[in-house]
Amino acid sequence: MAKRPTRKRKKKSRKKKVKTRKSTSRSSGWFAKIRQWPWGKAALVLLILFVGYTVYLDFVVRDQFEHNRWSLPAHVYSRPLEVYEGARLSPESLERELNILNYRYAFAPRDPGTFQRSGNEFVVATRKFRFWDTEEAERRIQIRFSGDIITSLKEADSGRDITLLRFDPVLIGGIYPSHREDRLLVKLDEVPPLLPKILVAVEDRKFHEHHGVNLMAIGRALIANIKAGKSVQGGSTITQQLVKNYFLTNERTLRRKFNEVIMSVLLELHYDKQEIMQAYINEVYLGQDVSRAIHGFGLASRFYFDKPLAQLDLNQLATLVALIRGPSFYHPERHPDRLKKRRDIILDVSHEQGVITKQELVAAKQLPLRVNKQRHSATTPHPAFMDLLRRQLREYYPDSMLSSEGLRIFTTLDPLVQRDAEKHVRQRVDSLDRQKQLDEQLQVAAIVTNVNSAEILALVSDRNTQFAGYNRALDASRPIGSLMKPVVYLSALRQPNKYNWLTQLNDTSIHLKDPSGDVWSPKNYDNISHGMVPMITALTQSYNQATVRLGLDVGFEKINETYLQLGGEKQLPAYPAILLGAVEMTPMQVAQMYQTFAANGFRSPLRSIREVLNANGEPLRRYPIKVQQAIDSQSVQLINSGLIQVVEAGTASSVRPRIAQDIILAGKTGTTDDLRDSWFAGFSGSHLGVVWMGTDDNQSTGLTGSSGALRLWGDIFRDLTLTGVQLEATDDLVVVPVNPGSGKLTSIECEGAVYLAFVQGTEPVESDSCTSGKIKEQIEDTVNWFKRLFR
Amino acid sequence: MKKLLLIVSGLLLTSCAVKQPGVVLPGEDPAKTIAPDRGTSSAVITLLDKARDATRAGDYQRAEVLLERTVRIEPRNASLWHYMAKLRLHQGRYDEAIGLSSKSNNLARGNSKLMADNWRIIAHARYQSGDRQGAEQAQDRARQLQAQ
Repeated sequence: MAKRPTRKRKKKSRKKKVKTRKSTSRSSGWFAKIRQWPWGKAALVLLILFVGYTVYLDFVVRDQFEHNRWSLPAHVYSRPLEVYEGARLSPESLERELNILNYRYAFAPRDPGTFQRSGNEFVVATRKFRFWDTEEAERRIQIRFSGDIITSLKEADSGRDITLLRFDPVLIGGIYPSHREDRLLVKLDEVPPLLPKILVAVEDRKFHEHHGVNLMAIGRALIANIKAGKSVQGGSTITQQLVKNYFLTNERTLRRKFNEVIMSVLLELHYDKQEIMQAYINEVYLGQDVSRAIHGFGLASRFYFDKPLAQLDLNQLATLVALIRGPSFYHPERHPDRLKKRRDIILDVSHEQGVITKQELVAAKQLPLRVNKQRHSATTPHPAFMDLLRRQLREYYPDSMLSSEGLRIFTTLDPLVQRDAEKHVRQRVDSLDRQKQLDEQLQVAAIVTNVNSAEILALVSDRNTQFAGYNRALDASRPIGSLMKPVVYLSALRQPNKYNWLTQLNDTSIHLKDPSGDVWSPKNYDNISHGMVPMITALTQSYNQATVRLGLDVGFEKINETYLQLGGEKQLPAYPAILLGAVEMTPMQVAQMYQTFAANGFRSPLRSIREVLNANGEPLRRYPIKVQQAIDSQSVQLINSGLIQVVEAGTASSVRPRIAQDIILAGKTGTTDDLRDSWFAGFSGSHLGVVWMGTDDNQSTGLTGSSGALRLWGDIFRDLTLTGVQLEATDDLVVVPVNPGSGKLTSIECEGAVYLAFVQGTEPVESDSCTSGKIKEQIEDTVNWFKRLFR
Repeated sequence: MKKLLLIVSGLLLTSCAVKQPGVVLPGEDPAKTIAPDRGTSSAVITLLDKARDATRAGDYQRAEVLLERTVRIEPRNASLWHYMAKLRLHQGRYDEAIGLSSKSNNLARGNSKLMADNWRIIAHARYQSGDRQGAEQAQDRARQLQAQ
């Protein structure tokens, strides 16, 4: 009651203010009257302040509501799993993928997002997903496996063959604005009509009548709260709640309440009830997913029920409405009883208000909550990959756009490979760290790419794989050690008239003076000089002295050229130590360089993104496959035939028994002075992997490339579905069995026979026929191996 | 671009519409274009069908996405890289067309018809990029291969 006169006075003064515009002559009298009035001056100042403030708030309301209603985070997806008859995939991998995608096990899969497995047969009810090129519809499918190959893919109901199908991709994260709000916008006409009715019944019965504020409700709440001695009831309208969430902070001050009331009235003045209801449905806070805040019914529906909002039933709608009061207080797992009680209240009120019938009420109340308990965090943090992604995106998109425009980013990440890599990193690094007593200082970076598409499938840059910090894969520049040797040997092999695998190199001590007069005398790892050795042995055994002599003979200029063509980013300095890898590179740069070896001389920029779509699913930018012939394939096949021998019989041979024999592998170990860095870069026909281990402060790790990085590489590669390295036949290239010891052709059954590639006419002509008398026992293995090497 | 198309059509093709998967550019005779390898899987053929439809409809971006999917499924199928090269040439992305043609050649294993077509793409791309001499050399390679 006390407020009334003030309000009247305000009204009067507003009228008078209008008049002042019309007539200045009368205004002086008006002013004078007020000024004479006790407290008149103060009232006048207050009035002017109030009007000014209201104008300001009006601007805020309209500007924010009109122009940037919500900052929509970018959503980042993994590659979609593509299945077709003949696809190489194990049933276990499919089941894991379905689990990562939160498909639920069901005896009779009907609802999208459910599946059943019996042995090698799956029935899956897939989800709908809109890709750039087409939309994948919801389907019930049946997949059969034989071993690790899909042998049949059919519609489960009709039995019709399906040629290929993409599952929905895994949401691997988002790029959020600082408040980390996430939402999936819905339009009012996509919302079940029951939802706004329940909201009105429960939250704001006079919604369609009031002008933003319901004084009766406030009064009622006030009385209830006074009676209870604490805050038990809120008198806020839906409009006020929207204003509170949308424009204001959470503080409970009088000023905020004041703003809330004014802004609610202003909002109602500018926008109709439909728009306000739609905004409320999208704004309201309904839960927390680790650090991601779930806002709006659209996203909450996916989050809690794994369904689009339009498909929710009464029970589920009432459950979501129940959460409005406090998603944490009514947490479905922590406080299921509270939530159920609250849901029942929502249902009762809905019935009282005539929104639902008695039958609907009874039926819904009998139902359990049915919140999807399997809901994991929808955002799986793969921080190293996300960091790489952000960097690649920043070339075209400012941060503000990434966190506000609702972009949909389709990446190359393979969630199965990534998770396996993470698991192996944790296990292997822990065990090596303990073994070498490194006090948890041992660090790691690992990259797995697809050889043919140059897509990055997995990226790890910390032993704590969930830790988003220093990205070693991208930022740790370390000497690459013997990973440099293939560059030196390739530079030599590019001159086939001068060098081939049987060219003898001098592996004896060497002393070189640098310009400052210091003498550099590189030693071999075993501290032994081996005298004259064929080039292939110098590579497979990673002899330093022979390599330095070869490098000096080939010349820095040629080596530098090869290095840059392979993908090296900077000119190499012309000093001998670079021949043994006194060149600093990040693991990612190494991967880029070895990608060119793996792809037979074709260089492709490594990619983490396939495409970026806007919020409406329209394409903004594609990141296409690009290939460029950087080095002639023939020379690269020469070096690759040597890198195969590194794995077959050289410094990396310890990994050979760990991976199926029919998969031909190639690679090179790298170790730096005092065992500070342990490297392995290796590839199959399908995958490339680069692993680095070391400590951030450059301590000795006690690990060679072979005893450290190679082991982790083997762990990761053992889990991949690989194809072997293959050499592409050309007219000018021959692959023949030779005996590096004698430098002669030999036959495959002879002990010590090694298959190596030669430019036609440079292979040895003389042959020796197992003079040592040793004959390999399993010739068949060797013959088959050779068949696999060449198609 | 029109001139380029005429050259392309003159070399590779003429008219009419036989249903053959792969990339068939406007004005091309599908019968004279490279057919997918015999071992090509039905999954890839399905995608190639869609890529052909997209190309006909002038939706090159969609065709690009579909072709990349084929390459992910059968990375060593030389004709798929050839289709991608052809599309890039048509899109005026000459460097990429050259790279993809070379990649296709690398996998072609003596398929001289395919290699000849790849060299033609390289010839056009080089010509369009102003490398006349390189274009002629590529054209010669194409002729030699065609004669085989």
